[in-house]
Amino acid sequence: MEPLLTIDQVTRRFGGNVAVSGVSFSVMKGDITGLIGPNGAGKTTLFNCMTGYISLDAGTIIFEGRRINGKRPDQMCRLGMVRTWQRVKPLGKLSVLENVMIGAFVTTASPKVAGKASLEQLQAVGLDRYADQPAGTLPIGLKKKLELARVMATRPKMVLLDEICGGLNHAETESVLDIVRMLRKRGVTILFIEHDMKAVTSICDRIVVLSSGEKLAEGTPEEITSHPAVIEAYLGGGYHAQG
Amino acid sequence: MKKILIPISLLLLALFLPELVGRNPYFTGIMINVLMMASLASAWNIPGGYAGQFSFGHAAYFGAGAYTTLILLSGNPIDPLLALLAGVVTASLIALITGSIVFRLRGHYFALASIAVAEIVRLSVLNLQFTGGAQGILLSDLTFHGIDLNSKIPFYYGMLMILVLSMGTTAYIQSSRMGYYLQAIREDQDAAASLGINVALYKNRALLVSAALSSVTGSLYGLYIRFIDPGAVLDLRLSIEIILTAIIGGVGTIWGPVLGAILLVPLAELLRSNVIGDTLISMGIVSDVSPVGHFFKEGLAHAHVLVYGVITVVCILFMPQGVLGITRRRK
Amino acid sequence: MLIIQSLVSGLLTGGVYALAGIGMSLVFGVMNVSNFAHGDLMMLGMYLAYFAFTLLHIDPYLSLVLILPVSFLFGFLLEKLFVSRVIHHPHQNQILLTVGLGLIMSNSALLAFTSDPRILTTTYSSSSVMIFSDVSVSVPLLLSFLVTCAITALLYLFLARTRTGMALRATSQNREAAQLMGIDVSKMSAITFGIGTGLAAAAGALIAPVYYIHPMAGHNFLLKAFTVCVLGGLGSVPGATLGGLIIGVVEAFSATWISTDWKDVVVFMLFLAVLLFRPQGLFGKRGGE
Ligand SMILES: Nc1ncnc2c1ncn2[C@@H]1O[C@H](COP(=O)(O)OP(=O)(O)O)[C@@H](O)[C@H]1O
Ligand SMILES: [Mg+2]
Repeated sequence: MEPLLTIDQVTRRFGGNVAVSGVSFSVMKGDITGLIGPNGAGKTTLFNCMTGYISLDAGTIIFEGRRINGKRPDQMCRLGMVRTWQRVKPLGKLSVLENVMIGAFVTTASPKVAGKASLEQLQAVGLDRYADQPAGTLPIGLKKKLELARVMATRPKMVLLDEICGGLNHAETESVLDIVRMLRKRGVTILFIEHDMKAVTSICDRIVVLSSGEKLAEGTPEEITSHPAVIEAYLGGGYHAQG
Repeated sequence: MKKILIPISLLLLALFLPELVGRNPYFTGIMINVLMMASLASAWNIPGGYAGQFSFGHAAYFGAGAYTTLILLSGNPIDPLLALLAGVVTASLIALITGSIVFRLRGHYFALASIAVAEIVRLSVLNLQFTGGAQGILLSDLTFHGIDLNSKIPFYYGMLMILVLSMGTTAYIQSSRMGYYLQAIREDQDAAASLGINVALYKNRALLVSAALSSVTGSLYGLYIRFIDPGAVLDLRLSIEIILTAIIGGVGTIWGPVLGAILLVPLAELLRSNVIGDTLISMGIVSDVSPVGHFFKEGLAHAHVLVYGVITVVCILFMPQGVLGITRRRK
Repeated sequence: MLIIQSLVSGLLTGGVYALAGIGMSLVFGVMNVSNFAHGDLMMLGMYLAYFAFTLLHIDPYLSLVLILPVSFLFGFLLEKLFVSRVIHHPHQNQILLTVGLGLIMSNSALLAFTSDPRILTTTYSSSSVMIFSDVSVSVPLLLSFLVTCAITALLYLFLARTRTGMALRATSQNREAAQLMGIDVSKMSAITFGIGTGLAAAAGALIAPVYYIHPMAGHNFLLKAFTVCVLGGLGSVPGATLGGLIIGVVEAFSATWISTDWKDVVVFMLFLAVLLFRPQGLFGKRGGE
C-alpha cells in the first residue's frame, strides 16, 4: 500500500487564530479515512487548503507523489482530487442533470456524452427521477446525494467528503453511506469528515482526530474509540451513552 | 421542426421588412436602432446573463469599435472591413485588461471596475488630439465595393447580419460546454471551481467574445451615422441602456435581448418624437395650453430615460427574470 | 509653495468626498448593497441647498440643519419601499434597482429643473483667506471642510456611543450573529440607508457653492464615492474617511502637475490599481475574494 495523499506539517492561521497547526498524516490508496473532531477543529479549513481555496502558511501537501501547494481548485479537480461542501452548493437554476454534467465535462467536451454519463451517475445515486428539476428545489437529503453524483461524474481518484451526512436522518444517512461504499468499490480513495461516530466507525479503515487545529490521534476505529485522549477531548461520555 | 421554423420565419420577415415599410427612411432608421440594441444586448448577455458578470461599461467596446474604424478611415483609403477588424482588436485589448484586473475578484468589483475602465476610455477620447476630442469625428466620404452607402438599406442588412452573428454565437455557446460552464459560474463560483472550471479563464473568454461583438456593432454604427462623439458612443447611459434592454427581455436566453430591444427602442422613439403628446392633444383629450398638455408635449420628449428607470425598478421588483425569464432552454 | 497650496485644497475637497464615501461605505457594510443611486442623492442635496438658498434665503451651510433630517427620512423610506425588497437578491439586482432609482431621480430633476446648470452664489463665494504667507484657501471650501469634520465627528460618536450605533456596527460585522443577538437588522438597514442618504445629500449641499449644479452631476460623484470606498476598503468608515482625503489630494496634484482634464483619469487609474494590488483596500473588512 502506498499513500495517495500526504499532508506534512500543514499550518493555516486566520489572524491570531491558528485554525490548522502542524498537522501531518497520510491517506492510503483505496482506503476510507475518517477525519473527525469537534466543531471548529479545523477540518473544513484543511479541506480548503488541500483543494486550493485558501493558501497554506506552512507545510506541504503531496498528492500522487506531486507537491500541490498553490494549485487552483479547478486544477486539483482535474488532478483527481474533488470535494463536496459542508454547506451544499447546488447550482440552483440548473437542472439536477445539468449539475452532474458540469462535473462530467472534466472528462469530455461534448454535452451529449456528458449528459449520458451523468444520467448513469444519477441512476447510481437514485436521483434519476429528478433529472429535469432545478437543483435548488431539491430537499437537503437529495442535495447531498447530488453533491456525490456531481463529484463522481468527474471520475476522481480521491474525494473529500465534508459532513456529507450532516443534517440527515437515519435512513438518509444509511443510503448516503451505501453510495460512499459504492465509491470505494470503484477504487476511489475517500477522506471523510463526519460527526456521526457510528457512521465513521462503521465505514472507515483509519481515523484521524483533530482538536483545536492539532492532530490528537490517528489509528484504526478500534484504536480511536478506546484512545483515552480522544474520549476525553472529543467523545466525552456522549459516545458511550449513545452506544 | 418548430424550433427551426420560428427563427427562419422571423429571419424572412426581417429580410423583407424594409420592403414592407416601402423603404421608408424613418422606419428603416428605427429598425436599425432596434437591431443595433438587440445585438449589443445579446453581446452583453454572454458574460452578463449567462455568467452573471454584469458589465456596466459596454459602451467602451461599442465606442472602441466606432472610434477605431472612423479614425482609420478618415483620410486613409483602406478597406472598411479592415478598419472594422482593427476595432475588434482595440476592444479585445480593453476587455483583456479589464478582465485580468477584476476577474480574480468577485461580486460588486466587476461592475465597479467596468465603469471605471469605460470612464477612462471616454475621458481619454475626450482629451486626446487624434480622437477629435469633444468635437468628435466626422467621416466625409465612404465607399464600399460599389454599394450605395447614402441609403440606409445596406446598413439595415449589415446590422441584421451582426445580430444574427451575435445570436448565433450565443446559441453556439449555449449548446456547448462553455455555456454550461458560464451558467455554473453564475450560480456558484466555488462550486464551479471545485468541479474543474477555470473560473477566471471562462469569464475572460465570455467578456472577450462579447467585446468583439459589441465592437463590430459599434463600427457599423459609426459607418452608418458617420459622425461620432464621446457623448454618443461612450457614455455611461448607453451602457445602462444595453443592460436594461437585456434585463427587460430576459437575461440568460437567446431571444430575451432581442425582445427587449423590440419593446424598448420603439418606446423610446415614441416618447422622443412627441407622438403621444401630439395624439392626445389632437384628439382633444388634453389641452395644448394646460400644464398637463405642456408636460406631454415638452416634458415627455426628454422622459424616455425616466421611463427606462421606472421600468427597471418595476422589473427588478416584480419580474427579475425579465419578460422571457431564465427559461429552461435546450428543449 | 505650489505643493502646499495643492495639498491644502486637495484635503479640503477630499473632506467632502470622504463624507460621500462614508455614506456609501456604511450602506455597504451594514446591508452589503452597492448603492448606485448615491451620486444622484448627492445631486438632490445640491438642489436642496440651492433652493433653500434662492427661495428661503437660508445660507447653504445652515440649510444642512434642514437637509440632513429631510434626506434621512427620504433614504429611510427608499429603503423600506424598494431596497429592502432586494436585500437577499443577487448583488446584480441590487445594483440595477439602485441604478433605476438613480435614473428616476436624475431624470425627474431634468424634467423639473431643466438641464441648465445653476450656480449658488453666496456673498463669500469667491473670497479666500491666506494661511501662511502665500497659501490661499477658498472660504466656501474651508467652511465645507469644517462642517464635514463636525458631521464626521458626530457620526463617529453616534457609532461608538449610542445603542443604535453599536447595533449598526454589530450588524456590519456579522449580520446573522447580530440577528441572533436580537438586533432588528431590517430596522438597522433602513436607518443605515437613511444615514447614507443624509450624508450623500449633505456632501452635495456642501459642494453646491463651488460646483455647477445640474441633474447629471451625480454620475461623476458616484464614481468618486466608489473610488473612495474601495480605496478605504468597502464597508470601512475610517477607511472611507482616509480614502476621501487621499482622493482629494491625488485629484488636486494631478490637476496641478498633469492637467485638469486628466485628473479624473488619474483617480480611476488609482481605483484600478487598488483593485489589482490591494483589493481589500487600506482597511478592508471583506477580503478581495
Ligand atoms: N475564512 C475564515 N476566516 C476566519 N476564520 C476562519 C475562516 N474559516 C475558518 N475559520 C476559523 O478556523 C477554525 C476552524 O474552522 P473549521 O475549519 O470550519 O472547523 P471544522 O470544519 O472542524 O468545524 C474556526 O475557529 C473558524 O472560526
Ligand atoms: Mg466544517
